Amino acid sequence: MASDKRALILVVERNPIVQRLEKYFLEQAGYTVEFAADGEAALAQARELRPGILVTEILVPKLDGLSLCHALKSDEKTRDIRVLVFSHLHAEDRAREAGADAFLVKPLDEERLIDTVAALVSAAANGEGEKHDGR
Amino acid sequence: MMADKIKTGSAGLDEILFGGIPANTITVIMGSPGTGKTILAEQLAFSQATAESPALYLTTMSEPLEKFIMHGQSYSFFDSSKVGVSVFYEDLGLILRERGLANLPEIITELLVARRPRFVFIDSFKALNELIVSSEDRRSIIFDLASVLSAYQCTSFLIGEYAEAMMTELPEFAIADVVLQMIKLATNVREERFIRIEKLRASNSISGLHAFSITENGLEIYPRLLTPKVAPNYTARAERVNTGIKSLDEMIEEGFWRGSTTLVAGPPGAGKTILALQFIGAGALKGEPGIYLGFQENPTQLARVMKNLGLPVEKLLASGFELMYQSPVEVQLDRVATELFRRVREGKVKRVVIDALGDVQRASIDRQRFANLIYALMQWFAVEDVTCLMTFEMSNLFEVHGISEEQISNMSDNVLLLRFQPGVEMRRSLRVLKARGSAHDNREREIRITGEGLTVEEIK
Repeated sequence: MASDKRALILVVERNPIVQRLEKYFLEQAGYTVEFAADGEAALAQARELRPGILVTEILVPKLDGLSLCHALKSDEKTRDIRVLVFSHLHAEDRAREAGADAFLVKPLDEERLIDTVAALVSAAANGEGEKHDGR
Repeated sequence: MMADKIKTGSAGLDEILFGGIPANTITVIMGSPGTGKTILAEQLAFSQATAESPALYLTTMSEPLEKFIMHGQSYSFFDSSKVGVSVFYEDLGLILRERGLANLPEIITELLVARRPRFVFIDSFKALNELIVSSEDRRSIIFDLASVLSAYQCTSFLIGEYAEAMMTELPEFAIADVVLQMIKLATNVREERFIRIEKLRASNSISGLHAFSITENGLEIYPRLLTPKVAPNYTARAERVNTGIKSLDEMIEEGFWRGSTTLVAGPPGAGKTILALQFIGAGALKGEPGIYLGFQENPTQLARVMKNLGLPVEKLLASGFELMYQSPVEVQLDRVATELFRRVREGKVKRVVIDALGDVQRASIDRQRFANLIYALMQWFAVEDVTCLMTFEMSNLFEVHGISEEQISNMSDNVLLLRFQPGVEMRRSLRVLKARGSAHDNREREIRITGEGLTVEEIK
């Protein structure tokens, strides 16, 4: 399976402790990680940085994770960014409706997170349009 | 003019508050950890918020926001599709860490403008309060906050683990229009939860402690049973109800008065349950549906007893006779009373048996609360023309002269005393101690129990 280990991942997360854990696990898995603390900042960063993957909590200030996902998927310039909605809120259906490529419920499980991100990176590299069920 | 009321998501609490919490007020929800404050707040938020009238739920420093979401989702009222649509969570604690507590009123203003909520929750507010070192700062910050919350059209809730003594010290209690106190009380074997309306400006409420339980649907609150405001209908009471035992009917003219309450007291095995079953069985066969509230025998055991007495169990059940069994270990007094009261108010029940009062009493946190509740129930039975028979277990087998539960025996219209006669052959006896409004035969009679039921006869 060809997966780009240097893919850039933009993580949208308000809680600094969760940020720290996600950074640790994702970097250990070989990815480059950038952070945004709210949805509006994330949208701007996504347009500028063009990450391969965006991982977002739903409960983030200014623009919630689902609206962010919808905005990314509605814009031609950003619709190719694979979005993983990663939240405490059991909202898989809403994530799908917003156009998310995968959904994971918190708390953070390293293996599930890394496996899901790897599958999204791989699908992006192969140009697959199929949605991945991260659960 | 009556203020608009906000429903709370709990029918019981709405009843206590005569419709709900007055709109555009500030409510403090106080209580020790684990009393259900956050559940009540979230239940209210999810039941009332709409996309047009959203709720803003601000978490602070007592628990991370993630915990609120995780715990909240275990209750049926937590509709995750409403989060971000009509219920907005924000981690106020994180914002305050960045901008400082002195900016609290300004931050709240910004959030109000951004979200335009009709309901605002700050949970825990006490945790914020504790971070303000000087009492002068505390007063001015909280006063400014109250000004913001009052200036904007929203109903606000400040939640915290406040102890009762803090009510006179902390400024949030001065600015509050409503104070809801949630209490956990320990009995000898279990804990019970209660809610009390500590303060309510410009509206009325039912005073006192109201029991509640926490279920998967959130808080189920049982308003304290009050005595009826209407007097019992005395014309309807001028009618006799047979006891199911012909010879007993004859001892009290022709039976109990309709709407009266009879206490049957005696030691274990004296025949109280059998007498009660015959009373309620006779009613069901005459088209008077009854509820048998029992705590000792489960429905299978009770059906067996009834069959042994020659009572047609299936026919009785089909005629509206209902066994309401409650395990004495699990029974919650107010919940049972609320259920019984609801059924009586529906108007279909004509006879009620409570077997035995001691089990009800043990489920109560104190004797007075128990006595008040039984009194209220008895008054409602009278108003609704429901004839009631309650059993009471006494420990002394032979030397039974009076009943220690004076309050209950005083309240009862009729008192039947059962006991054992000492001797080689264990013989049971019955005496009518009291029969209000009836000429009664107060001689001691012998009880005989056969396959055809219980009878009373002259002692030979």
